[in-house]
Amino acid sequence: MREPAARLLGLALAVSYAVFIVALYVRQPQTVAEMTGALSATVGTYRIDERAFADGLQFFRTGQYAAARLALERADPAHEDPRTQFYIAYSDYREGWGRVYNDRELFARGLEAVDRAIALAPGGRIVVDDPDLQMRSADELKAELQAGLRRDASDLNPLKLFRQRK
Amino acid sequence: MSHREVFVLPLVFLTVALLGGVRVTDHVVLLPPPLFTFVLAFLLVGVLIRSGALAPEQLMSATRPPMANASGAVVLITAFVAATQAFSVAIPESGLPRLLFSVFLLALLLNTLAASPDRVRVLRSVLVIFGSAFTLKFIVLAALSDPTGGRVKRMLQIMLEGLTLGTLSQDVYRPVTGYVAFVTLTLFVGGLALLPSRPRRMPDSAQRDAVRNALD
Repeated sequence: MREPAARLLGLALAVSYAVFIVALYVRQPQTVAEMTGALSATVGTYRIDERAFADGLQFFRTGQYAAARLALERADPAHEDPRTQFYIAYSDYREGWGRVYNDRELFARGLEAVDRAIALAPGGRIVVDDPDLQMRSADELKAELQAGLRRDASDLNPLKLFRQRK
Repeated sequence: MSHREVFVLPLVFLTVALLGGVRVTDHVVLLPPPLFTFVLAFLLVGVLIRSGALAPEQLMSATRPPMANASGAVVLITAFVAATQAFSVAIPESGLPRLLFSVFLLALLLNTLAASPDRVRVLRSVLVIFGSAFTLKFIVLAALSDPTGGRVKRMLQIMLEGLTLGTLSQDVYRPVTGYVAFVTLTLFVGGLALLPSRPRRMPDSAQRDAVRNALD
């Protein structure tokens, strides 16, 4: 190989490797699936499992939220797809919502998922066109989850018993 | 053209940069290097240049073509980043040990810089610095921080009787973290040994005469 070509190849390799390392440190993958997903997302080849996503949506619409989460996690094991993360957060919200009190653990997990979704979406904006949902944007869902986790005097308001799940 | 400069050194140093931040607990955490390690890395690069273990003029100079200078710059930058991560591996993450290690490493590097040793001595010194820091962090401190205890912990507790272990204990990592750290530091020291070095200076005429007289 000629010298300039070899040097160019060396530079390209080093720059690609450095970009990969920076992407890993920014994304902080915690499993092998997340690591490979982060790598695919860096080069723009990441795709979710559409069949698992469709299964997840079906479970979600029939109120089987735990099953929906499992299917959606299978669809997006690397946590790189904003729409799937939005539905995971929504599943956590619907399952954790209670007329008297909310399941704080589920709400906290939902908040993590919706934060991931917002971080992944271009410009941080997610709007899902789904007639089954009353909150179609990640901002509304995040505000609802945050409100559910907040503890204040309004928790003692008896009218809260009449509120509706979204 | 040296394949070492174009391919081997950047890849070795970037691998050190990647692995240097790996800590395994219940999940994998990638820690960026703390700011103080940049100071230590800067000093280390200074020590390497002064000792001749690193000859920057062989990587970048006006006589080299632009592409060759670009390759040389990549080696220098990656070596610096790898040094920050190597120090990040060697220094404990919190508490009194972090402060002590940082001050100790700073003093050691300043001392080495002042002593102006040759290339071989500097590389030996770097090996000893990182070897001892690794042993203290991943064997001694890890044993002290282990909540389940063990023979090493009991032995150290007897030796350090009266000292509150709260100031010494660290986050507990999975054993694989130690192995990754060992590979990282080995790669780093290996990479330093592969850096283009300055040819050893010939002894001056007075020294040559003294040697000749002694032989006569």
